[in-house]
Amino acid sequence: MFPTHGKTPPLSPVLLAGLLARPLSPRLLQPALDAIFAILNRSHPGLFERLSCLNETVFLIDPIDLPLVFILDADPEHPRLTAAREDADRAVATIRGPLLTLIDLLEGRIDGDAMFFSRTLSIEGDTEAVVALRNAVDDAGIDVKRDLLDFLGPFAMPARHAFGLGERLYSRLNDDLEFLKDCALAPQSRIPKAPEA
Amino acid sequence: MTALELVCPAGTPAALKAAVSSGADAVYLGFRDATNARNFPGLNFSRDELQQGIDHAHDNGCKIFLAINTFPTAGDSTAWHQAVDDGASLGVDAVILADIGMLDYASRKHPDLRRHLSVQASASNPEAIRFYQDAFDVKRVVLPRVLSVAEIAALNKEIDVETEVFVFGGLCVMAEGRCALSSYATGQSPNTNGVCSPACAVRYDEDENGRMVSKLGDFTINAFEADEAAGYPTLCKGRFVANGEASYLFEDPVSLNAASILPDLAKAGVTGLKIEGRQRGKAYIAKVVTSFRRAVDSMDDGAVVETDLTEITEGQRKTAGAYQKTWR
Repeated sequence: MFPTHGKTPPLSPVLLAGLLARPLSPRLLQPALDAIFAILNRSHPGLFERLSCLNETVFLIDPIDLPLVFILDADPEHPRLTAAREDADRAVATIRGPLLTLIDLLEGRIDGDAMFFSRTLSIEGDTEAVVALRNAVDDAGIDVKRDLLDFLGPFAMPARHAFGLGERLYSRLNDDLEFLKDCALAPQSRIPKAPEA
Repeated sequence: MTALELVCPAGTPAALKAAVSSGADAVYLGFRDATNARNFPGLNFSRDELQQGIDHAHDNGCKIFLAINTFPTAGDSTAWHQAVDDGASLGVDAVILADIGMLDYASRKHPDLRRHLSVQASASNPEAIRFYQDAFDVKRVVLPRVLSVAEIAALNKEIDVETEVFVFGGLCVMAEGRCALSSYATGQSPNTNGVCSPACAVRYDEDENGRMVSKLGDFTINAFEADEAAGYPTLCKGRFVANGEASYLFEDPVSLNAASILPDLAKAGVTGLKIEGRQRGKAYIAKVVTSFRRAVDSMDDGAVVETDLTEITEGQRKTAGAYQKTWR
């Protein structure tokens, strides 16, 4: 959760959205989060079965570009995902990184070890629990967009259009932010370097 | 020249499917217990998952090799024997074994089950390899990562079994099957428990200077600056202070990539090209297997097509390891 842990998040639409939503309570997200998590659980019933080797299954998922954290209770029998403002004392481990990286990891599109090697992701606490969670979600074949559309059945078409529109808007905003970043950094790059002694 | 077979890792059914669809000729994997050298939490296959994996692989012309490559607990080989029996009854194409007792058991109980000698047996000379062939009818030997290409070529001329070599992934300190560093620090070893530096003994903390400090058991083994690429938390890749200077005393955190010398390995008589990484995600498997499939297939055209895989490697650096012993 920014800026608590000193990690600089990437300049992205997610960061802007996080800054704008800062005054709002994460609890407002909870109904949508419950619905999405229920659909994911229904689509992947054995999702947390690989965590049955663990005694403690509460994880803190910390998107560094949002002013909130997610508390994941990965109990295979009663899993739950909660949005909160503060860290959870009872979490066995913390996984920290940009939101889109965390979603890519959830969907198995990127390799967790590679993200760790590059320092994009960081972990704290019980490493064994994190490894077990990573292996569980990597095997599950989660695709958030596909899973939601599958659930909607006959209502999937308008939702597909809405997703498409959202993705185009995100892409456009991302390009604009890249442009802004280049503009902001350009004066810095024009400063002549002092001759070496 | 022998046709090269791409032998790829899988730690989950999803990774197995990724390996098969990316062009693996064979997939190696293990059961969810200490009978294999990647006994990590949440990793590996149940019996049902293995059956489904075998069906999927065989439907797509791919073989399955079952790694049972740890050394049984003294006085209790039950789980290891059961693994061999189950592998045979489920229809794996080969078992990868390291222990002499297990090789004896498999050759007596399942004489038709193809046997490969694991890298954990560390057989690196003609006499050792001929012993395994004569005694247990081993068909293939996975060579330890200590030999140069010239040494592999010379070895292949003296033996009559297939050889398999690692071409990509994490490296060990060249004492495979005999390393006791993890056991010393944590009480668990890759040789008997199937875990090197078990995750339950690993901790990452941030120090007051913003560095990520990795600890294994009671030992602090590294401290990475904020912008420094990290490696696995193994003692062999720890950074220690000696003579007032912190450095990698045993081995750098760096990954093997032998893509550029595939034609040399083929000329040296190698049969199997092994990719390390059963503990890695399916995205890694798909990317590396696709890259090596393309590299192997491009050899017929005279030039190897190489893909830059640096960003997914340990330490974000690559080496040709012992294949090109530049330190000699």
